[in-house]
Amino acid sequence: MAVNPTASLHPGAQDEPVDLAGQFRAGDQLIHDVGTGLSGSLNLRRTALRLLTMIRPVLADWGMVVLPGDRPGSLTLVGGDDAGFHAVISTAAIADLELSRVLRTGGTELRHVMMDDDAEADLASMIPHPRLAAEAATMRPADLLTVGLTARGATIGALVLIRCEGRGFDARDVVVAERVATSAATALDSARLYEERGRIASVLQSSLRPPSLPEVDGARLAARYRPAAEHLDIGGDFYDVHGGKDDWLLSVGDVSGKGVEAAALTGRTRQSIRTAWHFDHCPEVVLGALNTVLFDEHTKDFVTVLCARMRRDADGRFVVDVAAAGHPPPILLRRDGRVETVGVNGTAVGMVAEVRYRPATVVLERGDTMLMFTDGVDEAFGPDGMYGVDRLLTLLPRYAGADPEVLCEAIEQDVLEYLDGRHHDDIALLAVTCGD
Amino acid sequence: MRRLGEHRNPLEAYDAALVSGDTETIKSLVGEMLSGGADPVSVLTDVVAAAQREVGRRWQLGEYTVAQEHAATAVAISATKVVAQHVRQVPITRGKVLVACAEREWHALPAMMIECALRAHGWETTLLGASTNPLRLNQYLHDLGPDAVAVSCSVLGSLPTCRRFIEATTASGTPILVGGPAFGGDDVRAVALGATAWARDAHGAIAAMDGLPAVVPPAEPLGAERTAEQSALESDHRRHVALLRERWSLVAAATTPDADCLNSVIDVADDVLHQVLHAVEVALLTGDHRVLAETAWWVDDLLRTRGADASMMAELVDILTAAMRDYPLAAALLGAHFAVPSDWRQDRTAANDV
Repeated sequence: MAVNPTASLHPGAQDEPVDLAGQFRAGDQLIHDVGTGLSGSLNLRRTALRLLTMIRPVLADWGMVVLPGDRPGSLTLVGGDDAGFHAVISTAAIADLELSRVLRTGGTELRHVMMDDDAEADLASMIPHPRLAAEAATMRPADLLTVGLTARGATIGALVLIRCEGRGFDARDVVVAERVATSAATALDSARLYEERGRIASVLQSSLRPPSLPEVDGARLAARYRPAAEHLDIGGDFYDVHGGKDDWLLSVGDVSGKGVEAAALTGRTRQSIRTAWHFDHCPEVVLGALNTVLFDEHTKDFVTVLCARMRRDADGRFVVDVAAAGHPPPILLRRDGRVETVGVNGTAVGMVAEVRYRPATVVLERGDTMLMFTDGVDEAFGPDGMYGVDRLLTLLPRYAGADPEVLCEAIEQDVLEYLDGRHHDDIALLAVTCGD
Repeated sequence: MRRLGEHRNPLEAYDAALVSGDTETIKSLVGEMLSGGADPVSVLTDVVAAAQREVGRRWQLGEYTVAQEHAATAVAISATKVVAQHVRQVPITRGKVLVACAEREWHALPAMMIECALRAHGWETTLLGASTNPLRLNQYLHDLGPDAVAVSCSVLGSLPTCRRFIEATTASGTPILVGGPAFGGDDVRAVALGATAWARDAHGAIAAMDGLPAVVPPAEPLGAERTAEQSALESDHRRHVALLRERWSLVAAATTPDADCLNSVIDVADDVLHQVLHAVEVALLTGDHRVLAETAWWVDDLLRTRGADASMMAELVDILTAAMRDYPLAAALLGAHFAVPSDWRQDRTAANDV
């Protein structure tokens, strides 16, 4: 540790009565507060902001935190009077500065700042950003204290503190600063680890999120997706719409199992459906191909899928061929409020080597809606038992002719209110209404 | 920027298209206003939100069914999406903000409008949809590290989870702005729940965002006794509604063979019971008992416009008081404040957004 012994006592502070016990308490309290207060966030920048807010003015009049940047070889500076300010600098650019020594050794450096022409240059050795150094200089600093942030055996950054004229850091303040840095470093390092993992996860996750729906001429589409683990945004249910012009394939499915593993399989399933569709647009052929592909993977998982090929005829109606693999059949809501279940069934994919699926054909006239859903809807288990398809069939007629967006919202709300706060399985809804 | 007033009756044209559920016309109307130089935030507040209040008023008067109300909302959502698309081109000049609906809040539109308004003012926005659970909010808080969170609450039932949002958000040191009809006309409930700031509308939200501190301390705990009673009421809510629906002769008296008509009576009864019980919870949680008088006014008005017998209100008070026997604080609040103040009876024309 390189504590400058000349800075341990300060003229000016001696004439006033000193409440030593009070200062001790304030220091201890701060160390305690930093320990508990920083545990609330796992975001690196927010944790640094929180730290800077807590240490002012008890420990310092101005502060800055040096942290690892987003990319290797970069550092992020957070601090100064503008809480929103942060800057990224390269590690190479500060290699010759004193700050770099603290970052290597994790030690403490205390320096007395002489307010002369060189003050700003002096500060720049620890504050490697012109705006922050200039801001620090206007504080008329007496002392500049830099403490390494060391956690889990590695120095991840540094805490740079300034005290103004008449209030330098004495030996006890330095100890408090070091202990605050130790507490903060663990929280900052946890946030750093979390962010690193988070970046990997979010890239992978984005390919598994529900897709945005295409514009389909002559029809309106709407979908809802609510995974069992709502905070993950992904789950074992999926929906997809692809195609073009007047020939579309709608699919909804449910992978056995839950959570991240199930979500990974939905990605492969969606891709296989798209590839199979590329070679043949018939839903029964698509499902047959999907079954063979997933069976050959020898996973213990199976998938229930509903595929609907939708073609627009000259009168603006949609002719829909539906094939099902172990999945609840779609429900038709006619414009006049009649509801009917499409009579279609088949074996779930991935269980038997070869399956022949048989499609059913229905026609959607203007104002008719076809609703595809997963068993998270009908098997939702609330205080009064299972939600059930009958409840859904009773709800639907009230929304005859309504926008599919309205319909999906109403179903989602009805099911969640029925659950009354109880846990639910993955829920996916896909609705298509004939007519612009 | 041109003011909206210079357009020839945009509201009237918008309203006509809204009634007929004509999404395409609405989209082109909003597109024209924007390309004509109208302020995007004013389009949201003066056209889309104004029309939505009118929809709410018509529902209150029994002129709209729930399905029609939802259909009108779908049209308003597509109008808002046109504005959202338009403001995407505004450069980002401010920080990140997470916009969310509390759990049990199914009105996604106000949050969409706030998101849109903040984006128009250079905020980098992320919108979480209707009824967001606190776990999901937490995940986004840590992943995104926003500079602020904005939460919209239209229904009273969403205020208890909004309190959980406030706890989660302030625990991470992030400031939280709240707003929406459930908070009433001032910041009393927002302050009581520990929010950093409150805004009346989209314009207010934009102004309030600039005044938020960078870091806030964790929200203070709420009174233990009131909170305990509120959470007991919350977990018993469903049972209470079922029980009260059975006891209240409003539904029992409706012997119509017409399913639609019966459904609408049940809807009204359920809305009233949910609303009243939630108002009691909010009064417990925030100490703002005005919510009870406001709700009494709303119920009384709804029952009158739907032609219910005048005795229904008094009967409701009786069965409620009986149901609150095990909740001493709630019973006291109901007894003292659940009544329509006499001076409010004069003005029956004012719209009430509950």
